[in-house]
Amino acid sequence: MSKEYLLGILTLAGINLMTVLGLSLLTGFTGLFSFGHAGFMAIGGYTAAMMTVNFHWPFIPALLAGGLAAALVSAVIGKVTLNLKGDYFCIATLGFGEAIRLVLDNVQYFGGARGWPGVPYYTNIWNVLLINVVAVIALANLIRSRHGRNMIAVREEELASQIIGINVFKYKMISLMISAGFAGIAGGMMGHYMTFLQPKMFSLVKSTELTIIVIFGGLGSISGSVLGALVLTSLPEILRAFYEWRLVFYGLAVIFIMISRPEGLMGGYELTPSSMKKLYRNLMSKRKGGFQSIGGGK
Amino acid sequence: MYMLELKDLTKTFGGLTAVGDVNFNVEKDSISGLIGPNGAGKTTIFNLITGVYKVSSGNIIFNGMDITDKKPYIIAGSGITRTFQNIRLFKKLTVYENVLTACHHNANYSLVDSVLRLPRFRKQEKQLNEQAAELIEIMGLDDRKDLIANNLPYGLQRRLEIARALALMPKLLLLDEPAAGMNPDETEQLMKLISEIREKFNLTILIIEHHMDLIMGVCENIMVLNFGLKIAEGTPRDVQNDRSVIEAYLGVEG
Amino acid sequence: MTQFFQQLINGLSIGSVYALMAVGYSLVYSIMNFSNFAHGGVIMFGAYFGYFFLKLLKFPFPLAFITSAVCTAILALIIERAAYKPLRERKAPFLYFIISAMGTSIFLENLIIAIPAIGPTFRTYPEVFSKHPFKIGELAIGRLDIMMFIVSAICLVLLIYIIDYTKIGKAIQATSYNIKASALMGVNTDFIIVAIFLMGGFLAGIAGVLFGMKYTVYPQIGGITIKSFIAAVFGGLGSLPGAVVGSILLGIIETFTSGYISSQYRDLIAFVLLIAVLVFRPMGLMGKVTEDKA
Repeated sequence: MSKEYLLGILTLAGINLMTVLGLSLLTGFTGLFSFGHAGFMAIGGYTAAMMTVNFHWPFIPALLAGGLAAALVSAVIGKVTLNLKGDYFCIATLGFGEAIRLVLDNVQYFGGARGWPGVPYYTNIWNVLLINVVAVIALANLIRSRHGRNMIAVREEELASQIIGINVFKYKMISLMISAGFAGIAGGMMGHYMTFLQPKMFSLVKSTELTIIVIFGGLGSISGSVLGALVLTSLPEILRAFYEWRLVFYGLAVIFIMISRPEGLMGGYELTPSSMKKLYRNLMSKRKGGFQSIGGGK
Repeated sequence: MYMLELKDLTKTFGGLTAVGDVNFNVEKDSISGLIGPNGAGKTTIFNLITGVYKVSSGNIIFNGMDITDKKPYIIAGSGITRTFQNIRLFKKLTVYENVLTACHHNANYSLVDSVLRLPRFRKQEKQLNEQAAELIEIMGLDDRKDLIANNLPYGLQRRLEIARALALMPKLLLLDEPAAGMNPDETEQLMKLISEIREKFNLTILIIEHHMDLIMGVCENIMVLNFGLKIAEGTPRDVQNDRSVIEAYLGVEG
Repeated sequence: MTQFFQQLINGLSIGSVYALMAVGYSLVYSIMNFSNFAHGGVIMFGAYFGYFFLKLLKFPFPLAFITSAVCTAILALIIERAAYKPLRERKAPFLYFIISAMGTSIFLENLIIAIPAIGPTFRTYPEVFSKHPFKIGELAIGRLDIMMFIVSAICLVLLIYIIDYTKIGKAIQATSYNIKASALMGVNTDFIIVAIFLMGGFLAGIAGVLFGMKYTVYPQIGGITIKSFIAAVFGGLGSLPGAVVGSILLGIIETFTSGYISSQYRDLIAFVLLIAVLVFRPMGLMGKVTEDKA
C-alpha cells in the first residue's frame, strides 16, 4: 500500500467528512432526515468549478461560493417544507436530489450527462485537512451554545421546544442551510480533486451512503462522524472483493443500529480534549492498583 | 387589569365543540384552578392559550395584549409557560441540560458569536449557567443535576418540568395535572412548592387538576368545565357546594 | 385530436400503476403516520417475483400474477415485523423509522444486485399479451395498457369495498383517526397493522409485475416510487382516494409533458408539481388537515 494510495483515501475521507459533518448537524443534532444531500454537493461542486474555470477565482473563495449557492437553494426547500410534517421534508429532499441530477444531465452548458472535465486540481490532503479542522471546531462551538442546545431540543421534543420559546422553524432552517453549505463545499472539493464533475457522482446512492456514515458514527456525535467517515471510506477500498455485498450489509446494519443501538459507534459520547484527559487519568489510576487520584476533578 | 382573559373562547374539531364560549378571568398573582371531568376541554384551553391550537372564535388577552393565534414560541416569549399532562421533558438530556436549554431566552448572542467564541458569548453563557444552577438549587434538584431526566423518579420529573418552565421567567404559569400519579405526601409537597414559587417568582398560576385536595387547598378561584362549557366559577367553597358541579362530578374521589 | 386521446390513454395507463403504488404507501401512512420509504424496494421485489414465476417456473399468467402479489405481501409483512415493530415497541422517534426504512430499502435493492444469480442486468418479461394494439378508429390502445388499467381499477375498487363496507375496514378507518382510542375500544391494533401491510404489499406486488411487464425489470425500479410519493402528496397525504386521483393526474400530466413538450422533461415535471403543491396547497387535493394534540 503506497503512500499516495493512503493519502488518496484520507483525502476522499476528508471530502466525505465535510458533508457528513453537515448531515450530522441536520440529522444527528436536529433530527431532520434528508435523502438528497448529494444534490447540495452537486450544486456546490458545479458552482465552485464555474468560479475557478470561468472566472478564475482562487480555490477557497470558489469553495465558499459553492457552499453559499447550496445554502441558498436549501433555504428555498426549507421555506416550503419545514413548516409541515417531517414526511414532506423527506419527500422533498428525495425529489430534490433526483431533480438536480436530472437537470444537470440535461444542461449542456455543464457538460450534461457526460460530465465536465478539466476542473483544476486544487484539492490536496492539506487543504482538506485544514477545512475539516475548521469545520469540526466551528460545529463543536455551535453545538455547545444555546443555538446547539435549541437544535437538540427540537430533535428531542418539538412541542416542548416551542413551549419554552424556541422558534422551531428558524432553527430547522439554520440547521438545513449550514448542512447544505457544508455539502456544497464538499462538492467543490470533490470536483477539484477528481478534476471532473459528472451528475452521476451525486446520486441517491451517494446521499444514502453519507447518511449511513452519520448513523454508524452515532446520531449526535461529532467525533462519531469523524471516525465513521474515516472507517467507512477506507473500508470499501480494503474490501474491494465484497463490493456488491457492502451495501447489503450496510442496509441491514442500519436497521440493526436503529433497533438496538441508535447511539451508534460512539455511544452518544464525544471525544473531546477534556473527555480524553479524563479517560487517560482513569487508565492511569487503574494502573496504580486502584489508587484513587487525589482531588479527582470533574 | 387581569393577567389573563378568555373571551367567548370557542374551539371546534369538525362537528365536535371541544370548548364553547368560555369566559374566564385570571387575577394577577392569583392561583386559579380549572377543573372538570375528563374530556371537558381543560387541556384544549391550555393548548389554545399557548398557541398550539388555533382558536375557532373568541379572544385570549394576556396582560392587556391580544395573543390569540400567535405562534407558540412568541407566546412563550411574552411570558406564558406550561407543563404537560404527560411530561414532555427532554428525556435523554440531564436535569441540568433540560433547565440550561430553557434559559436560552435570556441570552441573545448570535450564531457567529458562538462559533467564534466572542466575549459576548462567553459572558452570556456564564450568566445562563449561573441562572440554571440557581434555579435547580431553588427547586431542590441540585443533588441530581447530572442525572438523565428519564431516570428521575416520577415526582421529580414533574418538578423538573416546572423548573424548566420557570427558566423562561414567565408571568403566567400553566400547570396541567401536576399532581397526576402522586401519593398524598407528594401532593402535599407539591402544594407547598406551588405556593412557594408563586411568592419567589412573582407568578400567576393556573392549574388543571383532578386531585381535589390540591385544588381546594391552593386555588383562590376555580372554573368548572363540562363538555366544553363553563358550568360554574367561584371560590373553592362556592364550587364545592354548587349543584351542577356535584352532578357533573359524581363518582370522582376527593 | 387523436393524439390528444392517445396521450390521455397512455397517461391513464401509467397513472393507474402509480395509483397502485401510491395507495399502498398511503395506506401505511394514514394508519401509522409514517412514510414507508421501503415501499419501493417491495415493489421491485414484486417485479422480480413476477419474472421468476412467469419466466423461470413457467406458471400460467394469472397464477404467476397472484402468487407474486402474495409473496410480495408476505415480504412487506416481514419487513414490518423486523424493521418497524421493534421501534414501535420502544416508542422510538419518527426519525428512527425513516432511517430504518431507508436501511431496508438499501438492503433490498442491493441484495438483488449482489446475488450472483440475479445481478443488475435488465430483464424483460416474456410476452404475455400480443403487442398488437386494439384499434378504435385511429386510436391504438395497447392490450397491456388495457389490462393494467383494468387490473388497477379492480384492485382499487376491492380496496374501497374492504375499507368502506367491511368490519375490518371500519376498524382500519378508526385506527387511522386515533390509534390509542381504537385500541381502547377493543380493536386489535397489531392485527390491523398486519392487515395494512399485507394489503399494501399485495398492491405493491401487482404494481411491480405490471411495471415489469410494461417496461423492464431492474433493481432500481424502487426509484420510480418517488413518483408515487409525489402523487400521494399531490392527492393529499393520508387520503386513499387522493392517492388514486393524484396518481392518475400525475400520469396524465407526465404523458402530456412528454408528448407535447419533450420527453426529457417528463421526469422533471413531477418535481415541479411537488414544489407547486408544497407552496400553494400542502394538504393536496383531498388531504386532511390535522393538528397535533399536546
